[in-house]
Amino acid sequence: MKNKTISPTAPPEDHAVTDDSIPVNVDMSPANNSFHSRRNFLNRLGIGIAGGAAIAAATVTGSQPVIAAVKSATKRKIQYAMVIDTRRCIGCHACTVACKSENDVPLGHNRCWVEYTEKGSFPNVDRSFLPRLCNHCSKPTCVDVCPTGATYKRKEDGIVVVDDSKCIGCKYCIHACPYDARYLNPVTGTVDKCDFCFHRVSQGLEPSCVNTCQGRARIFGDINDPQSEVSQLIAKNAHSVLLKGMGTEPNVFYIDADHSDPRDAIYQNRYIRVETHRKEKERR
Amino acid sequence: MDHELIWGLPVIGYLFLAGLGAGALVTSTSLLLRGKNNPDYFRLARYGAVLSIPTVALGTALLVLELGSFQSGFWFKWINLYTVINLSPMSLGSWLLILYFAIAAPYVYTFLVPNSHSEDRFASLRRNLAYPCIALGIGVAVYTGVLLGAMPARPLWNSPILALLFLISAISTGIASVLLSDWIAAKTGSAKWCAENLGWDRERDSSGKANAEYLLASTDTIFIGFEIMVIFLYFMYAHLTVGDVRMSIKVFEAGGALTTHFWVGVVLIGLMIPAILEIQKILPRLLRGGPYVHSGVMIVVIPTMVIVGGFLLRYVIVVGGQISKLAGI
Repeated sequence: MKNKTISPTAPPEDHAVTDDSIPVNVDMSPANNSFHSRRNFLNRLGIGIAGGAAIAAATVTGSQPVIAAVKSATKRKIQYAMVIDTRRCIGCHACTVACKSENDVPLGHNRCWVEYTEKGSFPNVDRSFLPRLCNHCSKPTCVDVCPTGATYKRKEDGIVVVDDSKCIGCKYCIHACPYDARYLNPVTGTVDKCDFCFHRVSQGLEPSCVNTCQGRARIFGDINDPQSEVSQLIAKNAHSVLLKGMGTEPNVFYIDADHSDPRDAIYQNRYIRVETHRKEKERR
Repeated sequence: MDHELIWGLPVIGYLFLAGLGAGALVTSTSLLLRGKNNPDYFRLARYGAVLSIPTVALGTALLVLELGSFQSGFWFKWINLYTVINLSPMSLGSWLLILYFAIAAPYVYTFLVPNSHSEDRFASLRRNLAYPCIALGIGVAVYTGVLLGAMPARPLWNSPILALLFLISAISTGIASVLLSDWIAAKTGSAKWCAENLGWDRERDSSGKANAEYLLASTDTIFIGFEIMVIFLYFMYAHLTVGDVRMSIKVFEAGGALTTHFWVGVVLIGLMIPAILEIQKILPRLLRGGPYVHSGVMIVVIPTMVIVGGFLLRYVIVVGGQISKLAGI
């Protein structure tokens, strides 16, 4: 399959590193050789010196690949991510059901849900599905506002979790999450949300929703590993994240997602309806 | 509108009461430090001090009542707040409240001892405690706005001017509550009871009373003026931008869910009518140095309207922030 770069606006010499941590199609790049030799050289120098060298090199040459190389050499951490290929989603809600049973989600709440978007008028109609879950953002606003430190981003795998023993249920993070991924668990009195099934993931299993997905619309893996399926998928496909403008840097990527919202109906002058299939009948 | 409110009346009540109490404390310290041992300034300062602790304490209790852990039967889990300190506005705010109670409590106590007057044995302690109390009162009032303003996902709240709006409204309602409690204490006879049993305020000075009330009324007018200005700026910036903030301010525009609450409740009842009535009362003295006419309207009607307006301001902001939406997905 022909490789595509992630950023169509990037200048040609930046093809070697299309993202901070995902050096795909390195071999095809004209800047390939210098990139590799510099990277190896910097690796030999060690992390601390490499950082300084990169800044110096960047100042002198303005060379982006060097900075990217140092970044990838210094922080090669696991960041679990999910790619949702909406072309494969049939809206069967199996992920919702699997999640609810796996995580004992109380009645009336969802960690995982599938939204239906209906557009147009007969005969030109369209229906698309948008599976939703916590985006496990790289810059999670929910973590920033937690007063007790109960919600945090796990250092080992980048999963955003809630520590039930610390959470007091102040609901501050529910406000802070632009994706409306959090809810108050009425049984425990704590805030609850998708945790990428880290009890399964840490045992080498996939999250329950991924495991159950009939069409393999959900793909789970480490975004920082360039060989992983999620890395390959977002490298080779046009993709998007939800509410990119919020700057939260989500780690749930969508392929061919329909971002239509009922509010677009006003200026697009057509019928758009979203069914959220959860207690909150409208999106945030 | 289909979302149920995540923060309801308890939080609105907290924001209002904490603002009112902090404002009353700031009013009290201001009257004490500017009063120069005048017994009537001291008397009004005492009302502010007496109000400052119970209102904030009641508000904090409401806040605990709203916690999911408390509602699920984990009644003391909120103590987890005091196991860490981080940059979350709520964490900073809860530590600030502890500091508030710790410093304001001895300050209030110096007013409550029997036969307390402006030159008793606590006079210097009282004045020394008054200075940190100003900072703490302003801190608690500002923090109620910062609490809401910290989140980009709530565009109506995510405004740097919201904390300033809440601060001004807090001091305004604090002044109003001091004036109103003076009237209530006189009407219900509790002032007389205190004078007989606790030895408070035996001596009165009618010119001092008028001076103190003039000071409070004119300060309140200034703060109402500022509040109108800040609301104007808040509204105009939201109206003239695009995107999330523009979408969210629609709850206050014509046809919005809270339009009447905002324009009639907050702007008209809470700001415009009190401002007009107060200006009418203070202008003779302000411009011509004439007498300040003490009247029932001044100390009952206007403070009541200001307090109602202050509550409605918290109400429309807290509810409006939750029913307004982000643009798109």
